[in-house]
Amino acid sequence: MRIFAFIENKEMQAIKISVNKQLDGYTFSIAPSIREQIRNWFPNSHPANNIFVSYDTKSDFEVYYGKLETFIYPALLGVDNQSDLNKKINEILFVDTQTGNVLHSHKVTK
Amino acid sequence: MSEFLTLGWNVAIPEVDIGDDIFVVQDDNGTLRRVQVKTSTSTVRQNSFSGQFNVPLTQLKNITNIPVHYVFIVRHNNKWTQPVVIRQDYLLDHWQNDKIGSIHENNLSLYFSYSIEKIECSGLDLSKYVSDFSDFPLVED
Repeated sequence: MRIFAFIENKEMQAIKISVNKQLDGYTFSIAPSIREQIRNWFPNSHPANNIFVSYDTKSDFEVYYGKLETFIYPALLGVDNQSDLNKKINEILFVDTQTGNVLHSHKVTK
Repeated sequence: MSEFLTLGWNVAIPEVDIGDDIFVVQDDNGTLRRVQVKTSTSTVRQNSFSGQFNVPLTQLKNITNIPVHYVFIVRHNNKWTQPVVIRQDYLLDHWQNDKIGSIHENNLSLYFSYSIEKIECSGLDLSKYVSDFSDFPLVED
């Protein structure tokens, strides 16, 4: 699967969120170039450098609310209006930084 | 290290070397930055010189909530060049999207070319990172 960070003058196809597994949890992050693109699209957005979630928090959260990744990407991208974001992208991919494997994908509903 | 001290940050050297060269700390609130210093001797070229650095890919890809700041310096004509300070996520981005450097034995090999006008790596202008201590703002007393 080809993952585009973004393509100039074209609609973004997928946003890659890097997932780094550590001893105590996951760090979710997006590349600086994606942060910059998000800020260009949405000047009021506040994309975060990274979000850390411990394994305990993740498992507790998922018992009550469902898949964590669904809630991580809005917080990481920092875009208030999800429908505006959905017009720009098709898919959000969670990729293991060390192996490059896609751990989870989230299709955007138009 | 003296640069960080000048900015009001404190500097600590880990007792055991597991990757980070120095920890840079704001004493009053505990804000921590991890710093990896990469040094090289210069290779003189016509109207310029270059330096070569190796960054372990495993470390570069290991993005944690405290990213590493890489400080690249070259010894040239018995002087150190101005530091090129690149945060880990930016360096990773430049490798993945701008294709800087090349991979050798699980290391990212970077060749910095120093000319009067700019510092380049694989055609990418890195001048904006020269002495970029923006993540280490001056600590007022």
